[in-house]
Amino acid sequence: MTKLLEVTNITAGYGDGPAIIDGAQLTIEPGKVHCIIGPNGAGKSTLLKAICGMLSIRKGDVVFKGERLNGLRPDQILRKGICFVPQERALFAKMTVRENLRMGGFILDDKRELERRIDGILERFPILRERADQHAGTMSGGQQQTLAMARTLIIKPDIVMLDEPSLGLAPKVVQEMFDIMKMMSAEGVTVLLVEQNALMGLKNADWGVVLDLGRTLFEGPAATVLADPRIQELYLGGKKAA
Amino acid sequence: MAEILQILILGLALGGVIALMGSGLSLVFGVMRIVNLAHPALIIGGAYITYLAFKTFDIDPIAMLPVAAVAMAAVGVVLYRLLFQREAKSAKYSEMTVLLTFALAMMVEGLLGGLFTNTQRVTSPDYATAAFFIGDVFIPKGQLYAGLVSLAIIAALSLFLKYSRLGYAIRATTQNREAAELLGVNVQFISVLAFAIGIGLAGAAGSLVSFVFSFFPAKHWEWIAMLMSVVVLGGMGSILGTVVGALILSVVAAFVGTWIGATWSTLTFFLALFIILLVRPQGLFGEKPEMA
Repeated sequence: MTKLLEVTNITAGYGDGPAIIDGAQLTIEPGKVHCIIGPNGAGKSTLLKAICGMLSIRKGDVVFKGERLNGLRPDQILRKGICFVPQERALFAKMTVRENLRMGGFILDDKRELERRIDGILERFPILRERADQHAGTMSGGQQQTLAMARTLIIKPDIVMLDEPSLGLAPKVVQEMFDIMKMMSAEGVTVLLVEQNALMGLKNADWGVVLDLGRTLFEGPAATVLADPRIQELYLGGKKAA
Repeated sequence: MAEILQILILGLALGGVIALMGSGLSLVFGVMRIVNLAHPALIIGGAYITYLAFKTFDIDPIAMLPVAAVAMAAVGVVLYRLLFQREAKSAKYSEMTVLLTFALAMMVEGLLGGLFTNTQRVTSPDYATAAFFIGDVFIPKGQLYAGLVSLAIIAALSLFLKYSRLGYAIRATTQNREAAELLGVNVQFISVLAFAIGIGLAGAAGSLVSFVFSFFPAKHWEWIAMLMSVVVLGGMGSILGTVVGALILSVVAAFVGTWIGATWSTLTFFLALFIILLVRPQGLFGEKPEMA
């Protein structure tokens, strides 16, 4: 199996508080959609924050393309090619859509290239083009999530990590978010998704990871995870995959 | 009519200087949530640098402005590294900075008092006491120059924030520190930079203040209330708000000073602070707390 990112038995938490994840591991293959599921408090978001450098790793290793990421700041990890969209979407409410996209390419030095990529994104996402001069804070939740996801594409990252992209969105809009995610994957971007709607997340993923009490319990092809009766019982509310 | 025009001109010219005095305070709060009660004491630091150069080498206060700005910006870098950087991730950071900067203001005052005594000082270039006359209306050259230079500096700052790469990073960090960091902004560097710019603006304001007002080390207590009123009216963290707030309050204070009495002029700022906090705590251009 080709490894793009490997997380080995990491321990992490907030400040000096107790460890939220302890013994989490993960192997990310290029070009696939990986979905992490688990109950509330399992440490799913914490794991993503530890990978992107927002939380310091107390034990274990995060290795990306053979390079250890432990101790790097979020901006340094982004420059390696790992983007993170947190639950709150991390938009700049008082900046326009175009300015938000410009911030998405903050690490790019070539201004012309940045503007070219922004135009490309606006071309692909008509709703963003229509609202290019509108402040992000005045858009609907779905439009904001679209902007947050589209913005990651500006720097052509290797991995995009999405924390609960469906949170607070209407069912119809949720499917649009998953469609964007699939489009990203089709373009060769590796996706690491944390999703409370486990059934939907796994249905749209290639690989499933079950996290509970801060450690990885199981990982395998999403279809296998979906079909496992114990996982269905414990984490999918007894729902069977259609 | 001429009297109204006269008051308006004086109020606007002074408002420009007050806007510059407040803009650094606003920027530092916007980016780092530091309520810098020592800001006016550092303005006085800039005023003394200018005063020394004027008295010793006869250097024009406006010509000294870049020097005072750079010198105070360097002081800002040292202060940030020493006092603020370590606690930047504390949940009670803003509250802590109130106490910390209060103590800093006392220290700066003590230091300046030790160096220069508590005698009132003022620089006196030729233009400080000269005026233009348009009919019955006179425009004091000192206030006019100070106001225009202040507004030019604020305009340059606004262009920098709006169009430059670092300006984008500062604005982004002001709005959403975590998001900025996730998009590749080195927020620690941006914090130092913004603090240095903020204190540099205090230094620049000090040069202009040196010939507009007389000053002494303890003068900053009078100014902090005035500047807080201006910044709160405009909306904490908004440079545009600070400019608008400064112009409005200065003009109102000028009218109050002329028509009711000079004693009541200062009260305009205190009264405005109370009213704003009661009626519209987010100010003219600030965000409502629940939306933050």
